Amino acid sequence: MDKQVFNIKNLDLYYGKFQALKNINLTIEKNKVTALIGPSGCGKSTFIRVLNRMNDLIEECRIVGDVHFHQDDIYHEKFDVIDLRTRVGMVFQKPNPFPMSIYDNVAYGPRCQGIKDKAELDEIVDKALKSAALYEEVNERMKESAMDLSGGQQQRLCIARAIAMNPEVILMDEPTSALDPIATLKIEELINDLKEQYTIVIVTHSMQQAARISDTTAFFLMGELIETDNTDKIFTQPKMKETEDYITGRFG
Amino acid sequence: MTNNRKHFIDELNSLYGKVHNMGLEVLEGYYKILKACEQKSNEIAEDIIDNDKMINDIEISINVDAYLLIAKQCPVAGDLRRIITAVKVATDLERIGDYAVNMAKYLIHTKNENQDHLDAIIALSKHLVKMMEGIMEAFIKEDIKLALEVNEMDEVLDEEYKTRVKKLIKVGKEKTDAEAEEAMRAILVVKQIERAGDHITNIAENIVYLVNGKRVELN
Repeated sequence: MDKQVFNIKNLDLYYGKFQALKNINLTIEKNKVTALIGPSGCGKSTFIRVLNRMNDLIEECRIVGDVHFHQDDIYHEKFDVIDLRTRVGMVFQKPNPFPMSIYDNVAYGPRCQGIKDKAELDEIVDKALKSAALYEEVNERMKESAMDLSGGQQQRLCIARAIAMNPEVILMDEPTSALDPIATLKIEELINDLKEQYTIVIVTHSMQQAARISDTTAFFLMGELIETDNTDKIFTQPKMKETEDYITGRFG
Repeated sequence: MTNNRKHFIDELNSLYGKVHNMGLEVLEGYYKILKACEQKSNEIAEDIIDNDKMINDIEISINVDAYLLIAKQCPVAGDLRRIITAVKVATDLERIGDYAVNMAKYLIHTKNENQDHLDAIIALSKHLVKMMEGIMEAFIKEDIKLALEVNEMDEVLDEEYKTRVKKLIKVGKEKTDAEAEEAMRAILVVKQIERAGDHITNIAENIVYLVNGKRVELN
């Protein structure tokens, strides 16, 4: 399989007349963590939503340019969006478990895909919870409501729910912004482990988080992709003055 | 309590592994100095010179790793001290390694003919090797007591150095031009050992800082 999972060329995105993304060119590499950073309103969340077509739900959103997932143009009219979202999972800012048991949350996706066999479901749920570093904390209380878990546990449950679909890519839109520092570090450790199996794209407000966990960092500013490079390089010798100003806190 | 920063800790350990390796390589240089003196072997002395690039490369690699850890992990408290200490110890080790190179060059240049001078170098080098072994152990075990013991060994080294230099000056005054020149060169070599000892005391100071955050001035 090719090393490039997503290949984005000359992407423009408009909300009505407002241009939110301007001529974005970026590739997302397999089994790497790509962090998208930039000030509020820079377009990073808009961009991550392009990758699994979450912007389809927004009226007046118009996209120009190429977004290829492997060889497929995901904005082609015949492209199967359901299949895309199965292969490209997403975790949001605020943990959003379904109001059902821990087990049913993780089994939800596989059941929708038609898996009914109890033993098979058990295996998928256990494996996903283990991958999300949550199994040890919940294996005695699978039937309890997911809403009773702590915020950090709920977010790891959402990651387990995404993993249960066996995706190739996991998109994370500020996954730790609603969590305390310790729960944040747990998720960061988890991301470091998950990249062995999955490709991860993460939007984060925390530059330190991008520095700690990502392999590649992309810096967005006012809808433009200013610079993208190896994270080591971005945080020690960025090429662009705008990047340096932002990561050193001199911006604005 | 679970470890929430396993990856960071792994990277810190790998940084310390590099400093440890660098120390062992530098120490190996001094074992070779002893061998080169005892066996009067230029080949062994040349080995020391050849190995120096590798030691310098390890230092660069330690610096790069440390800068990246600081830039990316925002270390604080003990973690920050640990990284700063790694960089500073690597700087001292690099210098101690350079002194071995200077000594090796001398051995090649003088053709190892004067046994008295070689004996002086061997005696001081043996003492220095003990200090190096001790300081590396203290560094790995983060053992302040041992670091301070090694520091005291430097006082012995300094005394021994003074005695040897006095003798060499005497030779320089009393003997012919050629022998006087040889004695002068031998002084320069034992000076390298004395300086290496001072860098070992710097490492001892850094071990104290690493463990309890206090800056002390030793020797």
